[in-house]
Amino acid sequence: MKSPRTAAAVLAVTAIAGAGLLTGCSASGDSGNTNGTVAITIASLVPGSSADAFKAFNLRVKEFEKANPKVIVKPVEYQWTGPTFSAQLAAGTLPTVFNVPFTDSQSLANAGQLADITSDVKKLPYANKFNKSLLQVAENDKGDLFGIPYGPYAYGLSYNRALFTKAGLDPNKPPTSWDEVRSDAKTISDKLGIAGFMVFTSGNTGGWGLTEQTYSRGGRMEVAEGGKTTVTADNDQTVAALKFLQTMRWTDNSLGSNFNLDWSGMNQYFGSGQTAMYPSGSDVLTALVQSDGVDPKDYGLGLIPTEGDNSGVLSGGNVAVVSAAASPAEKAAAVKWIDFYYMQKLLDKSAAVADAKSLISNKQPVGVPQLPIFDKAQLDTSLGWIDSYINVPKENVAPFQNGIFDQKIIAEPAKHTQELYAALDSVVQAVLTDKNADIDALLKGVNTQIQALIDADAK
Amino acid sequence: MTAATVRDRAVRRRALDQSDRGIASHSDWRRPGVWLGMSTVHLILLILLILWGVGPLLWLLKSAVTPTQDTLQAPLAVFPHGWDWSNVATAWNTVGIGVQFLNTIWVAVGSWFVQLLVATTAGYALAVLRPKYAPIFNGLVLATLFVPGVVLLVPLYLTVLHPPLIGHSLIDTFWAVWLPAGANAFNILLVTRFFNNLPREIFEAARTDGAGPFRLFWSIVLPMSRPILGVVSVFAIINAWKDYLWPRLVLTNPAVQPLSVRLPNIQSQTDLGVFLAALAISMIIPIVLFLVFQRLFLRSAGLGGAVKG
Amino acid sequence: MTTSSAAVRVSRTRRRTPLTWIRGGGPANLLFLLPMIVIFGVFSWGPIVESVVMSVQHTNFVTAPTFVGFDNFLALFRDPLVPIAVRNTAYFAVLALIFGYPIPLIVAVLMSEVRRARGLFSALAYLPVVVPPVVSVLLWQRFYDASPRGLFNTVLSWVGIGPQPWIQSAATSMPSVVLVATWAAAGSTVIIYLAALTSVPPELYDAAEVDGAGLWGKIWHVTLPQLRPVLLITFILQIIGTAQVFLEPFLLTFGGPANSTLTILQLIFRYAFQNSIGLDYGKATALSILLALFLALFSVVYFRLTKAWSTN
Repeated sequence: MKSPRTAAAVLAVTAIAGAGLLTGCSASGDSGNTNGTVAITIASLVPGSSADAFKAFNLRVKEFEKANPKVIVKPVEYQWTGPTFSAQLAAGTLPTVFNVPFTDSQSLANAGQLADITSDVKKLPYANKFNKSLLQVAENDKGDLFGIPYGPYAYGLSYNRALFTKAGLDPNKPPTSWDEVRSDAKTISDKLGIAGFMVFTSGNTGGWGLTEQTYSRGGRMEVAEGGKTTVTADNDQTVAALKFLQTMRWTDNSLGSNFNLDWSGMNQYFGSGQTAMYPSGSDVLTALVQSDGVDPKDYGLGLIPTEGDNSGVLSGGNVAVVSAAASPAEKAAAVKWIDFYYMQKLLDKSAAVADAKSLISNKQPVGVPQLPIFDKAQLDTSLGWIDSYINVPKENVAPFQNGIFDQKIIAEPAKHTQELYAALDSVVQAVLTDKNADIDALLKGVNTQIQALIDADAK
Repeated sequence: MTAATVRDRAVRRRALDQSDRGIASHSDWRRPGVWLGMSTVHLILLILLILWGVGPLLWLLKSAVTPTQDTLQAPLAVFPHGWDWSNVATAWNTVGIGVQFLNTIWVAVGSWFVQLLVATTAGYALAVLRPKYAPIFNGLVLATLFVPGVVLLVPLYLTVLHPPLIGHSLIDTFWAVWLPAGANAFNILLVTRFFNNLPREIFEAARTDGAGPFRLFWSIVLPMSRPILGVVSVFAIINAWKDYLWPRLVLTNPAVQPLSVRLPNIQSQTDLGVFLAALAISMIIPIVLFLVFQRLFLRSAGLGGAVKG
Repeated sequence: MTTSSAAVRVSRTRRRTPLTWIRGGGPANLLFLLPMIVIFGVFSWGPIVESVVMSVQHTNFVTAPTFVGFDNFLALFRDPLVPIAVRNTAYFAVLALIFGYPIPLIVAVLMSEVRRARGLFSALAYLPVVVPPVVSVLLWQRFYDASPRGLFNTVLSWVGIGPQPWIQSAATSMPSVVLVATWAAAGSTVIIYLAALTSVPPELYDAAEVDGAGLWGKIWHVTLPQLRPVLLITFILQIIGTAQVFLEPFLLTFGGPANSTLTILQLIFRYAFQNSIGLDYGKATALSILLALFLALFSVVYFRLTKAWSTN
């Protein structure tokens, strides 16, 4: 039998060991700056991306570390979603370098939750070459810079060329008007028994997609006049867009039978061949290949049909930002990484080629449609450098790439964007799941709800 | 062997133990109508229970080794194109849920230990040592039983973010799950009641033999408490394995996430067949534990029925 | 015996000094209580108090929390999602009671009459309870595929019923959620009832038969009254549990479609952890306090009423 003192000893040891373990562990990866080396954590890819995608990314990380021996980089899976971002912020689990969409970068900058990197960015040779209106999303009200925008996209119509062919439609001629979208969708769903067309519905993407459909008909969700913003969710074009969806759902039955799709759910839906068309960001092919096993040969990108005056295409993008908790050394290292990974491939031939090579060797797509960060000439030059590596068939994305520069590009609504999108989510869901949804009442409800939030800010 | 013989044998077996009767008496059972009716009902019940309890799980096992297209096109067909272990292999290796599997075990073991430590020491102090101020703590602990868990969610999260005394947050460490698990008033209730029912003469005898409180705890009380320790352990491990909301909040890094948190996160990026294989893998251990320790589980679960006291 | 009572008598007449406390085993008492005091203090009692405090504050990570009186509660009353969540939670609770309260009782009564292999029945009934809820919910999500090829719809087509929308329609979404929740939980209710049923003294049944009671008579006059304490307690426990349902509607439908499965717990979670800019801990704790108060009130009224019935 063990000595009775053992019981006391066990209790005491547990307490001490517990305390020791607690103090010994480090929760976040932002510590460990010794011997002049700086350690930073960076957002890598969305969780669940393929092993190949991670390999390509890690190759780039190694190249960076070789070029910057004093910086240690630790990649961390990361996905920005409206619902979870501020919890991560509060918990301090954000990497040193991460990305936020255009809709949030300004408010975060103003709230002091991002690091001011104006001086670090000024050291970069191309600091003045940014498209000025694009750069604004990364600035606070005073004009200080808090991030570097990258990957601007516009909405396009992603479609599955193989399914189009199978249904007897010409894959080189995607629909160019909403009526054509409707008839093509009906043909596909009748012939193949899948959703001919589908839209995002949850995780704030329902509202995002509905806003795009509004813009494409010439409407606006928010109108700013003389410093006051009015929510206009019940405008005629949004009503028309919802009625369009209603018809396709209840009359044509061409929208399939799953209406609870957020961004990654919808990508999976498309990737597994359960829908043939959906409006999406023009850069979604990367995620489709990395996470949903899509073959670029079967992928097509067309223009979203635009009709009516004032119509345009919703655009957005991401901003590479630095956590407010970063030390000056970490900030400098972070900006170096952002420059290396996000920018160099647009500015320097060898960097562009290295990036393309790492993607190719890991079966990732090269040549996903892009919009310019600096100007169109620079974009064309950078695309020329990697021309031989492009593995996305050019004709597949030609309808979009050729037509987008003639389109009016419209930014997302400015105030309380994510709450607006969240409120619109349930409107879209209601229209798609309830035959008798009262569109006007639902939209008026959104007006009231979001207007209250905007008015409260002014107090 | 006629039906009558079977029936009479059954009746005779029952008659051997007069107290073994339910609503229907032994004479009730002897009536052919009752016997037939009851047996039919029981058979139907058995079939329904199999469909209800086991059916979905069997489907999951089947789908884990079925190619994804078959599962999508004809979910109820059984291996129309043969079976395929690649989904399981992919789930374990490529998607890498082996890491989360180990994390789940780690979380369960740690929570189990903390709960056992807190419940046995507290129960011992309150029920055996019985200091004068014991009733205060008894009351405080019991009071928390009446507070719904929802009230704790946000402040507990903030406590884990900024714990007292310790410099940094416990987020993304297992302690964030282990320590709060110990604050389980139900465990303390169970253990205290059990210790209260232990014969106090043994304690007195041990004390007169010169045993101090530690010896009493380690060598006398704990060995006698195996039954209740078994019950507390079963609850602790199963609850840890099933926990979702709390680990989801405090374990955000996939390297420390348990299965329950990781699986929904990768659903949209994972092929259906591989995902179902991952689900199947995550349910194996609890089910195996249950089948092995059935009686312990069922006895613990039935404890609620003895709540009259 | 005499030793300890003598010691007690002596310590009562002597002055209580720190020395007598130590001699009386004081430090050991405290040491054994320490784990509970620390764990409960930091992770239970403290947070409960903090919850009340936070419900009247506005928390923001940049400055210290400010006292805002009842503003959070008022904001709750103005939020259109709150009445929706309350209604949905009540709907869930009622449906869960209908599916998950009498049926397990019937099953348990039938099972208590099983002579051999009752263990098999119990194991089958309890099996879904040990499956992790995440697995159950994601599994049933597959079953609920609303296309004609979905699993449940295929089964329905065998008996001539057309494909149902299951979780894709506001009308059927909540019952679908309740079905999953019941599948996972009914087993433990069955086992609880079974344990209570098998502890009914057989003599009562013998006595009832002597009085001429038939099968139904025995159930009505012996079984149910004997089960009354268990029935009453499981009822209130079920209400308290279902009022806090989170996982099933959260994972199955994210609270949709169109907020038809949004429950109070999900709303609290959203306020606290899912607003994209700025967390609203004040509203979250205010709502959880309101729910807790409601459940407390409900329990008090419930116990008063059932005490009245018990004395009949």
